[in-house]
Amino acid sequence: MKRQIAALAAGITLGFATTAASAQQLTEIKISYQPALYWALPFYVAEQKGWYAELGLKPVFSTFPAGVPQIAASASKSWDVGGAGSVPATLGAVRYNLLTIGITNDESYGNALLATAKTADGFVKNPSSIKGQTIVLTANSTGDYAVQSCLAKWGLKKSDVTVKSMGQAEIISAMSSGNADLGGLWAPNTYTMEEKAGAKQICSGQDAGAAVPGALMARADYAKENPQNVAKFLAVYLRAWKWLNAHQADGIAMMKKFYEQGGVTISEASMKKEFSTRPTYDLAAQLKIMRRPAGGASEVDGWFTKIGAFMQANGTFPEAPAASKFITDEYMKMVDADPKLKAFANRAN
Amino acid sequence: MSAATTSSALPFRRWLALSVAGFVAFFAIWWLIAASGLVQRQFLPTPPEVIEKFAALTQSPFVGYTLQQHLASSFGRFAAGFGLAVLIGVPLGLLMGWFRWLDAIVTPLFDALRFVAPIAWVPFAALWFGTGIGGPVLIIFSGAFPPCVINAYRGAKFVERRFVEAAQTLGASHYRMITEVLLPASIPSIVAGLRISAGLGWQSLVGAELIVASSGIGYLLVKGQANISTSIVMSGMIAIGIVGFVIDALLRVLERRINARRGIAG
Amino acid sequence: MAASKARRPPWVGVATFVVLAAAWYALTTLTHTISPGRFPAPGETWDALRQIAITGYADARLHEHILHSVKLVLFGFAAATAVGVPLGLAMGASRAFEAFINPSFLLIRPIPPLAWIPLAIVWLGLGDAAKVLIIWFAAFVPAVINSYSGVRAIEPHLLEAARTLGVPRAMFVREVLIPGALPMIFTGLRLSLQACWTTLVAGELIGAIAGLGHVLYQASLDIFPAMIVVGMAAVAVTGAAMTALLGAVERRAMPWRTR
Repeated sequence: MKRQIAALAAGITLGFATTAASAQQLTEIKISYQPALYWALPFYVAEQKGWYAELGLKPVFSTFPAGVPQIAASASKSWDVGGAGSVPATLGAVRYNLLTIGITNDESYGNALLATAKTADGFVKNPSSIKGQTIVLTANSTGDYAVQSCLAKWGLKKSDVTVKSMGQAEIISAMSSGNADLGGLWAPNTYTMEEKAGAKQICSGQDAGAAVPGALMARADYAKENPQNVAKFLAVYLRAWKWLNAHQADGIAMMKKFYEQGGVTISEASMKKEFSTRPTYDLAAQLKIMRRPAGGASEVDGWFTKIGAFMQANGTFPEAPAASKFITDEYMKMVDADPKLKAFANRAN
Repeated sequence: MSAATTSSALPFRRWLALSVAGFVAFFAIWWLIAASGLVQRQFLPTPPEVIEKFAALTQSPFVGYTLQQHLASSFGRFAAGFGLAVLIGVPLGLLMGWFRWLDAIVTPLFDALRFVAPIAWVPFAALWFGTGIGGPVLIIFSGAFPPCVINAYRGAKFVERRFVEAAQTLGASHYRMITEVLLPASIPSIVAGLRISAGLGWQSLVGAELIVASSGIGYLLVKGQANISTSIVMSGMIAIGIVGFVIDALLRVLERRINARRGIAG
Repeated sequence: MAASKARRPPWVGVATFVVLAAAWYALTTLTHTISPGRFPAPGETWDALRQIAITGYADARLHEHILHSVKLVLFGFAAATAVGVPLGLAMGASRAFEAFINPSFLLIRPIPPLAWIPLAIVWLGLGDAAKVLIIWFAAFVPAVINSYSGVRAIEPHLLEAARTLGVPRAMFVREVLIPGALPMIFTGLRLSLQACWTTLVAGELIGAIAGLGHVLYQASLDIFPAMIVVGMAAVAVTGAAMTALLGAVERRAMPWRTR
């Protein structure tokens, strides 16, 4: 009897040891994002589907209410990689040496200037009537960039309007209660305002000819020490977009859950619109837009240079960062060069 | 007329009647303003609408958790921040009350930081602590810390001289002086400080949760605002109010018990 | 702390600041123990101060920001005092009134001022009124509580004397109630003023275009720690100055009190 118990105990211990050993093979990677945003959906999908584990990664997610605290948190190394808007990503490059290693999506349509139901038609017919108005927006954000690009499109200067900066929630409160007529918002807040308060989108970044990308980021020191993990992180993200684009119906179901977790309930039509208005990039496309011709600038460089100039003009920093310094396709190239990762990143299921 | 004095204590029945009347009046006035259309209905729901939403939040999750779960999450942060404030603040206050040189060093710093709102530390909280509980705890700590120190300090400073002198003639070490003379004598002041500290710490919660995006009653409030749901916002405010009130009531009972035990009128 | 301040020579406070400033300089600029990303060095902070004072930051120069904030604080303080002190006195003077009002007071009191922001915006918009409302919620509580305590602390034999003499209500309030409660009223005012300054930052989150709270918010969006420190220091200095002013008013109002 004793021998049997001993054998059983040994068997159980061995069992634990092997699972522990295989569990140890998963390396932790700290990923940050903001909840209830279209470009963050792949993180959710990938985790639900267990794709991180397939590459030996164990993601530890941290969420932030906005880009600024997310960037600030990188200073204490509390996350390794993540996604954010291009404006916070640029700020992160200047302040904390954050690299931009890929593009989450083209959200030019999703960052816009909205007007209340009462005033929208008037502003659309006569944009110069925006002169002297108050615009509420979140400073140092992609929404800010879209609004100022729209003003430029209409020949207006920042000094022609009064800009009041506040969080997206405050903007929604102010506009829905009629205390502000014009506001800069990003999706899905744009859809919330349209559906629940009858506001109208009168000009988006796209309308103003300003490309507003979203950025995938990595801490420079982390990327230097763990290039493989960064490449794997990218491969998982790319696969998730492939899957979402191939299975939109299922994707929208997951989006609904993901958005609800973040406190956003918008109609299915709006969720479909997210997919249809915000292009994403697969591996080949990412490499293409990030490719730098001999001694020249890539398409992505061009986008971020404009954004840097905008932030410099805002007074956020004295000098915009050189795109070539913080934007790198090195890790995308690593995914491309590794046949296993490349195949993984291009899987649509 | 006899009203030219402050009145003596009311008979219980009268007190109860007036309190109930006051309570009812509050809700009646709220209801009236809401129903009158003075403010858009969307932005001032009636009491029953808010109560309904409050109940709904306890049943079905909003932003990932039910109301109670959000409250529990917030309370955890509060407990950590408040606990830290007490653990560091009370001994510091006692030490400052005893060692003049420590008082000289810390007091100017204290007076300088007194006007800095807990919310102003939010950017540093994100910078220093990033994710996790450290950031919110820092904010709550910054609100809860001053009263702990101030009241422990006052308690120690105003201990009757004869006790201090007696202990000194008996050759008490600094450690024994603080733990066996100053601390016991300062308890009433310290406990009063705990009440104020808990109140300020709990109030700092909303500011503390500005950098949080996972759970918490402050987070629920902001998300309610982003959804143009005034009833969720008001439910959040009520939940914060109720818990704050309960914490204060419990500490007040503690204060009264301790004062009664020591024969001080509470 | 006020009691021992009189005994402590002022140079000790100065010496403390000198030592701390030296430590600050050493830890940041000399040894880099604290990296600039975590906390600004004295040099950076000085540059930020020069920037905001001379060139301007967050749409205005330092003195304009200070003026904006002082204006808001004064409005909030005046409103809180105008409501809080009479309310507290009345609650202290009449148990019946206290019993009736207390429930409302207890319901409102535990709600943090910051939590009123969503309602303030939808009810009052983005102007000064909304900001003052936030400040008011913080400041009126100490005004009420301390005025109430002040009345309760009046020695009973004074009240007895007034009653036996049949003093009419108006004269009672003017000559017995208010002077008797005045010391505690002033304590309440001091706490009220402090609350105004600490809540100012929250209030100016509602669409401010200038003000020290606005500076702090903009600096946090720019992740500009040096400017945050400058903003905090400006709040501390202005707040302390206003409190000192209030202290001077207190001494004039109550010359019979030797401190």
